[in-house]
Amino acid sequence: MTRPRLPISSMLMTPPLLAILALGLAPLAIVVIWSFWSWDPLTYWIKPDLSLAGYAGILEAGRWTVIVSTLVKAFATAFLCLLIAYPTAYAIHFLAGRRLSILLLALITIPFFTSYLIRSFSWRLVLGRTGVINTLLLDLGITQEPLDWLLFSNFAVVVGLIASYLPFATFPLLLSMRRVDPTLLAAAQDLGAGFWKCLTTVLLPLTLSGIFAGFLFVFVMVVGSSTEVQMLGGAGASIVSVMINDVMRVANYPLAFAISTIVLAVIFGLVLIGNRLFGLASLFEDRSP
Amino acid sequence: MAISIQIDHVSREYGPVKALDDVSIDIKAGEFFTLLGSSGCGKSSLLKLIGGFDRQTSGRVCFDGKDVGDLPANQRPVNTVFQNLALFPHMSVAQNVGYGLRLKGLSGSRLQVKIDDALDLVELTGFGARDVNLLSGGQRQRVALARALVMEPGILLLDEPLTGLDERLRQQMRDEFGRLHKRTGATFILVTHNQDEALSLSDRMAVMHKGRIEQMDVPARFFETPANAFVARFVGIDTLLHPQAVLVSGNHGAATIAGQTVQVRIAGPADPAASVVAIRPDRLFLAPPNTDAALRLCVSGTTFRGLHRDLRLAFGDGQTLMIAIDADMDIGELAIGQEVAIGLKPDAAVLISR
Repeated sequence: MTRPRLPISSMLMTPPLLAILALGLAPLAIVVIWSFWSWDPLTYWIKPDLSLAGYAGILEAGRWTVIVSTLVKAFATAFLCLLIAYPTAYAIHFLAGRRLSILLLALITIPFFTSYLIRSFSWRLVLGRTGVINTLLLDLGITQEPLDWLLFSNFAVVVGLIASYLPFATFPLLLSMRRVDPTLLAAAQDLGAGFWKCLTTVLLPLTLSGIFAGFLFVFVMVVGSSTEVQMLGGAGASIVSVMINDVMRVANYPLAFAISTIVLAVIFGLVLIGNRLFGLASLFEDRSP
Repeated sequence: MAISIQIDHVSREYGPVKALDDVSIDIKAGEFFTLLGSSGCGKSSLLKLIGGFDRQTSGRVCFDGKDVGDLPANQRPVNTVFQNLALFPHMSVAQNVGYGLRLKGLSGSRLQVKIDDALDLVELTGFGARDVNLLSGGQRQRVALARALVMEPGILLLDEPLTGLDERLRQQMRDEFGRLHKRTGATFILVTHNQDEALSLSDRMAVMHKGRIEQMDVPARFFETPANAFVARFVGIDTLLHPQAVLVSGNHGAATIAGQTVQVRIAGPADPAASVVAIRPDRLFLAPPNTDAALRLCVSGTTFRGLHRDLRLAFGDGQTLMIAIDADMDIGELAIGQEVAIGLKPDAAVLISR
């Protein structure tokens, strides 16, 4: 005879579920719902009637170009971060000894202890007309006059973004490499694979989830960034979060939320595609036998 | 083509630790050679050097007389079955088996034929499309074997490949190794800590301890003349008695143990302080009580072992000796403390170095 047991597990699940709903999903729902409300420019008043004015506002004043350029910057930064982070993670995990790998990890993490503002500002000192790089180039006689495009340009912004968010690509890659049994690489070698074959046929396929996770983390961080663009971008340089900030100043919440909703949709789309193609969820699975 | 291996005064040091200490072995082409030893004895280190995954600190490793020190693992005519098998989890059975051949540039039907042949060889016909993660332990083992053998290596290294399999599967795969060795004719090198595997498969074997080779011989010799007490214990000769005195005449002699005399073959130093008497348990028998040339020992315990029963007997000075008796023997006659006579068949005892 079995009595229906008290669903202890579902009772235990309830508080965290409620917390996630209240802290995570509810604000998102409000963002999406308010993006369909209307805004009166005369009274700055928001009215709860269905309107696509917010979305129409995106097409005005070149706002959609900011969204597109933000996504392009995010793609470029995430891609470049992976190019730098993959060899870094490889070196830390496979090449360095214990002490060196800890040192390298610390070197990657320590910049996080300073604020984005300070770090972005320090790039001005490196990239400026009288900065480290221009001075060096002039002294070596490689250039006759300082390079102007180094600072206050998209180049400077991407450099600043990469410097800020590189660890977000490195750590997921490191995590995924730790899950690769090193004897698999030995086996590939044993069967005749050189370094590149080993990399392309065994290591890359087995770290795809880490590659995508790293990409996504950097991508999301860049889309939400503002400091780097404000500090290092040229005049009129903008990025989604700066634009949202500007719109919010005049309390045009529907427009701000419409922009947010579009960006959210793009990111959610990426997550879904990533999970389908690269098994993103597997990165967080416990596969220990 | 089978390849011979010459290990010439090889040492491998990790800081102050000597994983291999001046090891020299000649392995003949086509031989089934086993490195036997407990974990940490250096047997896997030696295998890594042969496979090309590590480099010796000093000495030379040669294949067919040619030094291969500078040859990386991917260019050596050696393939390995790894201890954890190391099957590629993102590939099917056929992709795993065909991996090495694809790197060699094989494709299409020629590749397919070779893969099918290799799967036939390990009796996995038709398993090509399966997911390697969903196979049983024995099937995974066979895939790993097929993946190595399909390369037609001159040397096949087996790194404790039977660890983690249940007893029945172990025996089955063990027989498989023997069969595949005959079929392929390659030089097989097995690393194991299991003496059963070593004894039943090897043409020759080496017992290793602390980075050194204690003895290298055909399996039967390890029982006839173990090199020392460590080797004797490792192959299952547990009765090692300390003699009080040794009387030598030619290659035979008499050892005195707790006042009783045992006829021994001499294969170690005659100095009682540096030698032990190894007694093979299979050459002892319970003698009738009035036999002359028998040891008089006291029963100190029995252990039921399934098909037989271990009878532990003590000398006057407390040293013990183990013999196997029929499991259904009436042990009522063998009460603890009772004296029994133990006869020795010819060549039961050998004097070896401690």
